[in-house]
Amino acid sequence: MPEFDASYRVIRRRGEPDVRSLEAYRRAGGYAALEKAIRQQPPRQVIQHVLDAQLRGRGGAGRPTGEKWRIVSQQPDDTRYVICNAYDADERSLAAHTMLERNPHQVIEGIVLAAYAVGASEAYLFTSSLYLEGIASVQRALQEALDTNLVGRDILGTEFNCTINVVGVDIGFMGGEETVQIAMIKGRRGMPEQRPPYPAQAGLWDRPTVVNSIETLANVPVIVRDGPQAFTSVGSATTSGTKVLTIYDYVPDSEPKVVEVPFGATLREILRHAGFNRAEGELRAVVVGGAEGGALPTSLLDTPFDFDRLEEIGAIVGSGIIELLPANTCMVAWAMERSRYLSKESCGKCVPCRLGMKRITGILEGIISDLGANNDLDVLDEFAHYVPDGSLCGFGIHAPNSLKTAKLYWLEHFRMHIQEQQCPTGTCIPVRAHRFVTKHVLP
Amino acid sequence: MAISIRDNLSPIVHDAHAVMPRNDTGHPGFTLTIDGKTVTAYESQTLLSVANDNGITDIPNMCDDEKLEPTAACRMCLVHIEGVSQPLPSCTTPAMPGMVVRTKSDELFHIRRTNLELLLSDHNAYCQPPCQVDCPTHIDIPGYLELIAKGSMKEAARLVKEVLPFPYILGLTCPAPCQKACRRALVEEEIAICRMHGHAAETCLLDPPHPYPKDPSTGKKIAIVGSGPGGLTCAYYLALKGHYCKVFEMMPQPGGMLRYGIPEYRLPKDVMDRELQHVWDLGVDLQSNVKLGVDFSIDDLFAQGFDAVYLAIGAWTSNPLSVPGEDAEGVINAIAFLADKVEGKPVPVKEGREVVVFGGGFTTFDCTRTSLRLGAKVHTGYRRSVKEMTATPEEIEDAEAEGTELMFYVQQTKVIVENGKVAGIECIKNKLGEPDASGRRRPVPIPGSEFVIQCDTIIPAFGQNPDKSVLDEKSGVKWSKRTTIETDPFNYMTDRYGVFAGGDAQMGAKTIIECVAQGKLGARSIHAFLNGEDMNEVARRLELEERKPDLFDIVPYKPVEPKVKMPMLPYEQRKRSFELIELGYLQQQAEREAARCLQCACPAAGQCDLQKYSIEHGLADNRFHDGEPGDYHDYELDLSHSFILRDPNKCINCTQCVRVCHDVIGPDCYGMFGKGFDTIVSTPFNVSLHDTDCVSCGACVQVCPTGSLMMAERTLKRYAFALDRCIFCGDCVEVCPHGALGETPNFELSFFNRFGEDVTLEKGDLAVAPNYLVRQRLPRGKKDVPVMSPLVRPLPARGIRE
Repeated sequence: MPEFDASYRVIRRRGEPDVRSLEAYRRAGGYAALEKAIRQQPPRQVIQHVLDAQLRGRGGAGRPTGEKWRIVSQQPDDTRYVICNAYDADERSLAAHTMLERNPHQVIEGIVLAAYAVGASEAYLFTSSLYLEGIASVQRALQEALDTNLVGRDILGTEFNCTINVVGVDIGFMGGEETVQIAMIKGRRGMPEQRPPYPAQAGLWDRPTVVNSIETLANVPVIVRDGPQAFTSVGSATTSGTKVLTIYDYVPDSEPKVVEVPFGATLREILRHAGFNRAEGELRAVVVGGAEGGALPTSLLDTPFDFDRLEEIGAIVGSGIIELLPANTCMVAWAMERSRYLSKESCGKCVPCRLGMKRITGILEGIISDLGANNDLDVLDEFAHYVPDGSLCGFGIHAPNSLKTAKLYWLEHFRMHIQEQQCPTGTCIPVRAHRFVTKHVLP
Repeated sequence: MAISIRDNLSPIVHDAHAVMPRNDTGHPGFTLTIDGKTVTAYESQTLLSVANDNGITDIPNMCDDEKLEPTAACRMCLVHIEGVSQPLPSCTTPAMPGMVVRTKSDELFHIRRTNLELLLSDHNAYCQPPCQVDCPTHIDIPGYLELIAKGSMKEAARLVKEVLPFPYILGLTCPAPCQKACRRALVEEEIAICRMHGHAAETCLLDPPHPYPKDPSTGKKIAIVGSGPGGLTCAYYLALKGHYCKVFEMMPQPGGMLRYGIPEYRLPKDVMDRELQHVWDLGVDLQSNVKLGVDFSIDDLFAQGFDAVYLAIGAWTSNPLSVPGEDAEGVINAIAFLADKVEGKPVPVKEGREVVVFGGGFTTFDCTRTSLRLGAKVHTGYRRSVKEMTATPEEIEDAEAEGTELMFYVQQTKVIVENGKVAGIECIKNKLGEPDASGRRRPVPIPGSEFVIQCDTIIPAFGQNPDKSVLDEKSGVKWSKRTTIETDPFNYMTDRYGVFAGGDAQMGAKTIIECVAQGKLGARSIHAFLNGEDMNEVARRLELEERKPDLFDIVPYKPVEPKVKMPMLPYEQRKRSFELIELGYLQQQAEREAARCLQCACPAAGQCDLQKYSIEHGLADNRFHDGEPGDYHDYELDLSHSFILRDPNKCINCTQCVRVCHDVIGPDCYGMFGKGFDTIVSTPFNVSLHDTDCVSCGACVQVCPTGSLMMAERTLKRYAFALDRCIFCGDCVEVCPHGALGETPNFELSFFNRFGEDVTLEKGDLAVAPNYLVRQRLPRGKKDVPVMSPLVRPLPARGIRE
């Protein structure tokens, strides 16, 4: 059992001192890392420490953060940008919200450290305009930091400048995508761009740009202050550090729990730590990764929470949401609901995602309306590969995860709907009167 | 004193590195491999442009244009790059030294084809109207239906007459293959396409429109043998071309099968004569009561100075009953029976008689229903089932309702003869066996199932054949094995030079509309022949024109609008009456019915990338038909702009118009709106394009890969320009908001062609405003778009004062 209580680094729990004010944050050791870095370490050394700490991006993809910083710092361009992604794509994730509201100075310190490391003098904090308390809290903190020369011009009396702009938008799921944020800051419609070229090479205004999630950046002060060795003492062999998770019970309207857990802890341990002690018989599945995550049967509860281990079994770290599904869930209906939600959230730019997800939803709706045919399963298999292969951004790559895992672990639910025209749990209500049919080209 | 720090004395030492080529913007070059071919690329080039520059032009793409920033939305240009697991779009991926790129694989083909299939699954439009393709004469059906819906009946009739001289006659008699293809049937019921042109022509029978002005006389003479639909169609179009035509007819009156084969209740002969009068009005002469092979021969015609002969002698010989006793009194010839009735001669069928008609075609039912009207008791026997009958279901339904007794799976075996007269017929029951060459299942008799029908008259109506005796071997015209006149399949010339053939005589007995189509093609072939063209070239051209285009079956979603039924004569009033049974539409009914047309035609067909790639990718089916309304979009058209028509139903969200308007032109009229499946390119707040900052530059129309943005058809006003009063002040150049007038080094005024290259007009030309050839786009980018005809239609030069 990992030391859960000792591994809280970016989240302030109830009962711990309030660090929202600059004074309190400083008392808790805040801005020591920034002072240390600016006064004693050249940028290259900061990057090296982040590399040594094996800090992987918490936004979902899990790329090494130090590597990204190194690429940006080596670009032959003297204007560079830092974007802090404090926009939770899945609105059910409370991670960014919580950090902004409870721990704004640690986020600011992380942003300034990143800007210092890569040589940027302008940073954006991109967040959802709906996080009213979070935005108020971070703006108050920014004003304090600005007043004490921790942000802005001549930080800590050196020649290093870094301004931070807070950008708040509300565009649904796609707002969490890095190139969407770049487009929004440029004043364009929020649609992702094809990579390569990556933002690290050509990002905001075609300049090298670091885009890191708020959680990644909040971890940086810990690394700089305590050193990489202390940072890697928590976590798994491949991923060091912790992850903030939002955990939902299946009872409607129940209060979610926000916890910070070390990587490598098993799903079972995480649930127990968060206080969810459901018996396995009460559960149909555990959904890991949020709206684009995969559903896992309870037999896989001993899987460690880590990027690669989750991807092997069809789930993702994604938005950092773990959700319990009750035992009477029909997994076809669940996959249909997920696909329907995602087909409405797609930006509409590329064909496989805009139309592919809609057609997947239509086929699944046909199946739960007991209009399915056997070849629907083949078409679903085909599309579960086609949509990720053809899509432009991570949204489309992960969008069919719910379909894939539901079909992988609960194929009997699909079969029962199609062959016996009956819902395995008796919960599905027909939603369509017509299924899709094939017609041939004339002549 | 200046101190030089440059060492001018030591020998210059160059670094020993290979000299890399640079392009004209100074970017260094490098090499990479595309499809196994080593090519040179330059820094900051994308893979797609490298491929295009090096002659690899078959990477499909629908959202890229060289003047625009790439967006990678259509996912068609995906390629494999060695070392990268996912396929990447070549339009955005920068070329890197040493890359190994593959542009073709089964996986890529599958992704591209699925992209196209998905786009088509929500492409609420149609390339070419299926009705027009299926109509043998290819009438512009959406065109005339639109005109009828607007109430322009005469113009609609004129449009039809461009390819079909007898819209009224065909409106009553055509089996309407167009209606079987109508896409409206996918919504609820097909449109009464055929009756519509009948209605349009009926309104102007006495004041007929000419399809186009008659050409001046050429002095050429053509003899046309047979005045049926094929012969008269040929005469009509040849006469319009300025040739003199003379029609030779064996019967007393013209019309052929139209007059003698079709009963009065389907086609009133007095009204028919009014429409045939349109042919004689063009100066065509008729000589009746003369028969080929009896009164004259082909050699006689050439001797009389005709330059060409068109044989449209029809198929007048009925197939025999072919059973013992067929010569008995009471077995009558179907065609002779119908002809005698039309001519008012006495016919053997009358009240109290019992008639058996055999067959399943139109003639069968004409004989059946004529006999019924004469008061006889009628049985109609067919050796297969109702499904195999070639007559239309309406015809069969009507015949049954009028009182015939339909018998299926019966075949005649023997006529029962008493005193040399028919007393009955013995038949045998059939069952269906394997399909034969025509695709219909072959009837097989069931032994021992014989039965006898009491009757006194038997009319075999198993189809007709041309009369072979009229043309002997000396004529130089050959007969095929199927007893039809042998011709070239496309230019319709027989083995004898200058002799053409068409209609039933060339095809075997077919429908009227097919004969009309042949007559029209025959006329074009003869016209080309008289102009001395190479007949092989003519055949090639006609074959290309008649080739069936590739069509897509696309999901329509339209609100249901019930069909306006043709008012018919009630069945009880049809007894013993040869009155026309179709009463005809009222004007409002016709307009309402015509307005149901989905207007499936797309002016971009043939220039549309979506169509082109779908054909190239052999898209065999679309798996997403007939879902819920929410699965498809049905957008309103924006036709309010003076120059640019927007049909969002054809939009594939490539955003080329968005980018060209924002990045190149500047007004920023378009954007993407909505989210997810409902994303669509539109104007801000979806206002009419007319209300945006649009400068009518047409760049969006040029880049649109489909027919979503089209140029409006327009006629420019002509402004008189008095050059002798112009002082070349340039004020007009200054104030023109569109830069249509500009200064040039050569002339003081120049004229920029919208949508085309600059045109500098000579001073004398300025008063002559050019007409744009609309619906044509310029070649775009590096793609292989055929070069269009010149955009400015040359007009004859004329002076300002004229």
